[in-house]
Amino acid sequence: MTTPVLEIRNLHARIEEREILKGVNLVIPQGQVHAIMGRNGSGKSTLSYVLAGKEDYEVTEGEILLNGEDITGMEPAERAAAGLFLAFQYPIEIPGVATMTFLKAAMNAQRKAREEAELTTPEFMRLVKEAGAQLNVDSDMLKRPLNVGFSGGEKKRAEIMQMALLKPSLAVLDETDSGLDIDALQVVAKGVNALRDGQRSMLVITHYQRLLNHIVPDVVHVFSDGRIVESGDKDLALQLEAKGYADFDGQAA
Amino acid sequence: MRPNFPVRLGPAEDALIAQLKSVGADQAAERVTVAGLPTRRVESYHYTDLKTLLRTIPPLATAANEASAPALRVPGAYQLMIANGVVQNAATAPAGVIVGKTHGGVLTNRDDLLVNVSNALTKDTLTLTLEGSVDPVIQIDRRTEGEAGHVADAVKIFVADDASAVILETFSGSDAAHVGNHATYLSLGKNARVTHITVNLSPRATTHFATNEYQLGDGSHLRTLVIHAGSNLSRTQVYPRMAGANAHADVTGLNLVSDGQHADITMETLHAVPHTSSKPLFKSITRGRSKAVVQGKLIVARDAQKTDAKFMHQGLMLSDDAEILSKPELEIYADDVVCGHGSTCGKIDEDSLFYLLSRGIPKPEAETMLVRGFIAEVLDPVEDEALNEALNGVVDGWLLANEA
Ligand SMILES: Nc1ncnc2c1ncn2[C@@H]1O[C@H](COP(=O)(O)OP(=O)(O)OP(=O)(O)O)[C@@H](O)[C@H]1O
Ligand SMILES: [Mg+2]
Repeated sequence: MTTPVLEIRNLHARIEEREILKGVNLVIPQGQVHAIMGRNGSGKSTLSYVLAGKEDYEVTEGEILLNGEDITGMEPAERAAAGLFLAFQYPIEIPGVATMTFLKAAMNAQRKAREEAELTTPEFMRLVKEAGAQLNVDSDMLKRPLNVGFSGGEKKRAEIMQMALLKPSLAVLDETDSGLDIDALQVVAKGVNALRDGQRSMLVITHYQRLLNHIVPDVVHVFSDGRIVESGDKDLALQLEAKGYADFDGQAA
Repeated sequence: MRPNFPVRLGPAEDALIAQLKSVGADQAAERVTVAGLPTRRVESYHYTDLKTLLRTIPPLATAANEASAPALRVPGAYQLMIANGVVQNAATAPAGVIVGKTHGGVLTNRDDLLVNVSNALTKDTLTLTLEGSVDPVIQIDRRTEGEAGHVADAVKIFVADDASAVILETFSGSDAAHVGNHATYLSLGKNARVTHITVNLSPRATTHFATNEYQLGDGSHLRTLVIHAGSNLSRTQVYPRMAGANAHADVTGLNLVSDGQHADITMETLHAVPHTSSKPLFKSITRGRSKAVVQGKLIVARDAQKTDAKFMHQGLMLSDDAEILSKPELEIYADDVVCGHGSTCGKIDEDSLFYLLSRGIPKPEAETMLVRGFIAEVLDPVEDEALNEALNGVVDGWLLANEA
């Protein structure tokens, strides 16, 4: 068997003395897309932050393996260089940092970490132009400071554009579909599907079964109170939509 | 009122009094004898108590024998030099620039020690008359070389009606306990457009004092930028006088301070006539145990209606031991004005940092990007590309020097 892209073993994590993740186990084999659905506040974004290595969270137990390598103690930048990408639920605006400067720094930093040559400016421009065209991110947006003044949907498209440029082996998409209009949803889904090459894997966090019609998952997990309580094929999402969470996590709606 | 007892004078004051007397500035000497160096009880020196901070004053500087390399090179700039207070011969001036030399102080007298000392001690004065649209950046390279010296130098600039120019002044020199007292008087004719930037790059052992006085005529636009990136103690006083209708001044500044440094920008803008506006925007970044001060006073004269002015100071603390101090003051005698002030102070935003890190950008580089982003608001408006790059280089140099 080949090494899974992601393997999470009995992961416990807390923030400010409060345990949020309470024993997450998850294996995503190469090339698969897994979806996570769960109530508000159940810990889905927390899981994504802990995967990406956000400082505020303390892992108290368990480990995270990315392509077989233990990344639990790694710095966020090292994890990114190792192939992890997080599309944020709420992408932040960073005034004063030009989008293009940021994109170039990110692409070259990862290249450098992998001991690859830095991009030349024409190469970089070409790649950005291509990705921008694919995701309807126009050059006007790219001229602005990072995410500044972008609409909710534009921010999400910009996240997926970054993903397309950075070509991660594991992409974690935290509610990338929320705030997108119907057309934008298709654009984003196309961008995501373009990266599905049988090697890269994805963890797609969503509240809506609708997204999963466009990005068809191999496995759907139900997340509740800091752990996965149920897993199944894509039909599980349909059942959830029909019945709600109570049948799966035993909590009242 | 302060009781009128004789103050105890220290060695710095004794030296200063003797120097003032040696040039015949008896009145200025008498004031120091009576009041001493300004302490924090003098409102405009509240956070920069010279009596504590300035323990010695070196002898008056003599002419320089050698000069170090220029502290900052801007490709294509027209360079002028003042070394140890002596105006040096200049290369042929570009079109629209008339270079001259005169004697004596250039600042309007006011109740301020540094202004009084500058006017008393300045011998040589560089004068510039600028006409039309002056193409190259004019760089005035002020040096203090050799053994520790107390130096006063001055520049007087007249910008003609409708003229435009970009002027950069840099301060540097040898690594000795110099005390510099540098003055610039700049007057803008009708509809003149001027960018005036002063950058202190003097070695740490030095003390840097500077006063920039501006007189703005009708419809003129001024952008000023003070950058403190050197000297253990630096203070730049900025005094714009909005004297013509529709004059506008963007008064900006940047304190970059590291362990052991104290930097102070003290602004006092006078809106003297109706329909003028000013936008003072200052940024301070601190590392280690250090102190950054910005004082901003907006004075609106009785008939200066429709004045529009807002003072802002933003601080970024890169360490826990630093202090960033703000003192906004409004003195408004007119009733139909829009004036305000604000100050913020914070650390690097953790969420912004995490965003950059999560894209694989290593921490030092990510922090540098955010610091540059913080400063962008004051550097970006400098349109000349070579100059903008040089100024960004100063900031990067400061960031790198402090990473260790
Ligand atoms: N700094 C914090 N201190 C304490 N509790 C926190 C902190 N940050 C998040 N939490 C809590 O952790 C829990 C999980 O939050 P999380 O954002 O992971 O939920 P989620 O499943 O992503 O929810 P949603 O579907 O609304 O996005 C919530 O109860 C939240 O209030
Ligand atoms: Mg969430």
